[in-house]
Amino acid sequence: MECKFVPSVCSYCGVGCGVLFKVVDGKLTGTLPLKTHPVNEGRLCVKGWNIHDFVNSYLRLKSPLIRAFGRFIKTDWEEAIKITSDRLKDIVRQHGPDSVGVLVSAKMSNEENYLAQKFARAVIGTNNVDHCARL
Amino acid sequence: MKDQVKKWLESGTVDIFLGMKMVDGHPLPHAFTLGNISDLEELVPGTVRYPLETFAAELAAENPDARIGLAARECTQRALNVLSLWNQAPTDRIETIKLNCCPSPLKEHAACSYLDPPEAGLFKKHFGIDNAADPEAVARFEPRERFSRWMYEFQKCIKCYGCRNICPVCFCEDCSLEHKDLIGTGQLPPEAPIFHLVRAVHMAGRCIDCGLCEEACPADIPLRLLYRKVNAVVDDLFDYRAGEGEQPPPFNIIGERPSLEPKPMENGSACPQR
Ligand code: SF4
Ligand code: SF4
Repeated sequence: MECKFVPSVCSYCGVGCGVLFKVVDGKLTGTLPLKTHPVNEGRLCVKGWNIHDFVNSYLRLKSPLIRAFGRFIKTDWEEAIKITSDRLKDIVRQHGPDSVGVLVSAKMSNEENYLAQKFARAVIGTNNVDHCARL
Repeated sequence: MKDQVKKWLESGTVDIFLGMKMVDGHPLPHAFTLGNISDLEELVPGTVRYPLETFAAELAAENPDARIGLAARECTQRALNVLSLWNQAPTDRIETIKLNCCPSPLKEHAACSYLDPPEAGLFKKHFGIDNAADPEAVARFEPRERFSRWMYEFQKCIKCYGCRNICPVCFCEDCSLEHKDLIGTGQLPPEAPIFHLVRAVHMAGRCIDCGLCEEACPADIPLRLLYRKVNAVVDDLFDYRAGEGEQPPPFNIIGERPSLEPKPMENGSACPQR
């Protein structure tokens, strides 16, 4: 019998509420609001309260999938990135850079968002950058 | 407290002790065991409350041989009493170390997140219900005004289920608050006041007035006050106060007959007014 309480940050939205995970025998079994967290002061929304459910969901994606022949096929990251970059190159070549948009996330770090817009502007060559808070 | 817990763990009085530990400036629940006995250095009474009794009841249910120790405030002890009366916690396997919570010069360790509630804003004071009010003060509003004040509070609900999730005496597998015929599921905001009244009815004779629900409510609804009111009705009708004594709760209908008789009525009134 092993029981641990692990403080963390909710992975849903950009607010970043503090959560406390209950881990029993290595399995995530519950989520509580972190009472002393300056952001949420012991409160959570319904999504935050149920994080342990999606972590343990059998529907959860654990590896990249490629859609081919109308089906999703499991693959590894290397291949997934290669196929994505080849397709992006094709699209940019055929339809121009403005046919691509990059959507970033309020849940990513500043640095990751910076990298994403750099990728859009410098690599692809478009100003089509937006983020989830406006979707 | 540290020495006592150490003695308990070393002598095998308990296999696991649930208390609070300081982690990077945050008091967090922690399971102390023989394996991590050096963590006891950081055992603190803690200024905030988590439902440790719920964790203890769950651990006890999953580990039928485990003996569990618990740092228990007065509300924790009342909750354990209710859980044991509803057969949800084997109190013979749960040992408690009592912690102080009421403020007094004699009790210097007094620490409870509830002792210092935020003050209600002006709008709430005028149109809603001050969380710090007592049931009698609320009862003095005219019925229509009282209703509109409660409705102002209820319509703020975002249906996070935090009040139910954190409640130490909410343990049902099937919750009425998720029943699609009673409460519209997948619908926001929840139907007021049904959502809150269904929960209030279920807290009658069960709520131990710990205030954890109100602390967890993002909408700042005076839930504790609401459940105090329903408990006052149970007290009037059945002379029953949840969390005290060994008497089974009046609404425990499992078995041959209801476990409590209503107390004799004065002047024939079926529902005493408060
Ligand atoms: S005060 Fe709230 S959390 Fe505490 S026992 Fe009553 S209903 Fe449950
Ligand atoms: S905690 Fe407050 S907002 Fe959340 S469901 Fe309960 S009453 Fe509604």
